[in-house]
Amino acid sequence: MRYVIAGYIFVLGLLALYAVALVWRRRRLVRAVARVTGPDVAVVVVGGNGSPGASTVAGAPVSTGATTPQAEAS
Amino acid sequence: MTHDLTTTPLEGPAAAHPYSGAATNTRVSPPPSPSTTARRTEHIIGLLALVGTAATVWLGIWVTPPDKVQGDLVRLVYIHPGVAWVALYLAFGLAAVSTLLYLWPRTRSLFWDRLAAAAVEVGVIFNICTLVSGSIWGKPTWGVWWAWDARLTSTAVLLVLFLGYMALRRVPAEPEVRARRSAFVALFAAIDIPIIHFSVDWWNTLHQGATVLNANLSPTIHGSMAWTLLLGFVALTLVFVWMLLVRYRIGAIEDWLAANELDLALAERQAEGVAASRVASDPGPAGGSPTDRVGVA
Repeated sequence: MRYVIAGYIFVLGLLALYAVALVWRRRRLVRAVARVTGPDVAVVVVGGNGSPGASTVAGAPVSTGATTPQAEAS
Repeated sequence: MTHDLTTTPLEGPAAAHPYSGAATNTRVSPPPSPSTTARRTEHIIGLLALVGTAATVWLGIWVTPPDKVQGDLVRLVYIHPGVAWVALYLAFGLAAVSTLLYLWPRTRSLFWDRLAAAAVEVGVIFNICTLVSGSIWGKPTWGVWWAWDARLTSTAVLLVLFLGYMALRRVPAEPEVRARRSAFVALFAAIDIPIIHFSVDWWNTLHQGATVLNANLSPTIHGSMAWTLLLGFVALTLVFVWMLLVRYRIGAIEDWLAANELDLALAERQAEGVAASRVASDPGPAGGSPTDRVGVA
């Protein structure tokens, strides 16, 4: 049975570690994008009824028509 | 579904983008961002993968009976073929198809190159799981951790080939050059996939032949064992899809940052210049020299 436990621990452990690494890498990149895009970043948040409503992350509101990674990070 | 993750060009002056910047003249394409539906789909797939994997472990270790011949070692069979299926057929198969679609002139797009790269990276992780779980099963069954068996060796060769693919992608180059180089390596590596599949038929091997997808399409496993094995396949496939989605997005953001590196730096410098000139031209209510203000800014 110890071989079985070792096999499960290795496979599930490696997959879990890789999953965590993926999420961490994505968050780091999203933050990098937020950093380089500067303070006048604006996002359009799609509301519950599907209609877009503009909101600013920082600085002046600018309608973009696209959701930036900041929205994903939140 | 994943096409909306790619960067899109701006549509004329009306499509004001923050990175065109009111304070700057530099226009940078918007960063890649998944739609709400894509994000929700990713969360649902992730949740299903987690539940499915937990159920497979529970059934595989505690519920299913030991095998008449293998005893408890049969429990490794509920995950080993699953990770092998994902690595060899789903991940590397998808990488091969994506590569072909990239090389085909009518469908040439960096989307396919990015998808292939994501599939290969996830596939390498599953391939390592395949080799190690097989080795752990082989020690008590065959008496050795490793045998230079046709299937084992060809699977190890595939791992090395795709590690080479990943190394090649890290060589600095233009995206198109990198994609073309990688495509040829991926196609070369993909030749090994049918060799692995048919190795148990072409050569005398220690590795057993196909149990489920055999020539007669008559599974030689039944009952709770068969259902647990099937659940393992489904759960690990969902894990692969979730990882592929996340890894693809990482690639899309990395490409965006690399493509806009210079424009972003220019925009940053221009914004600094504009801010400094504004401060210099506005002495403010407290007075003071413009030079002092620039220094503060």
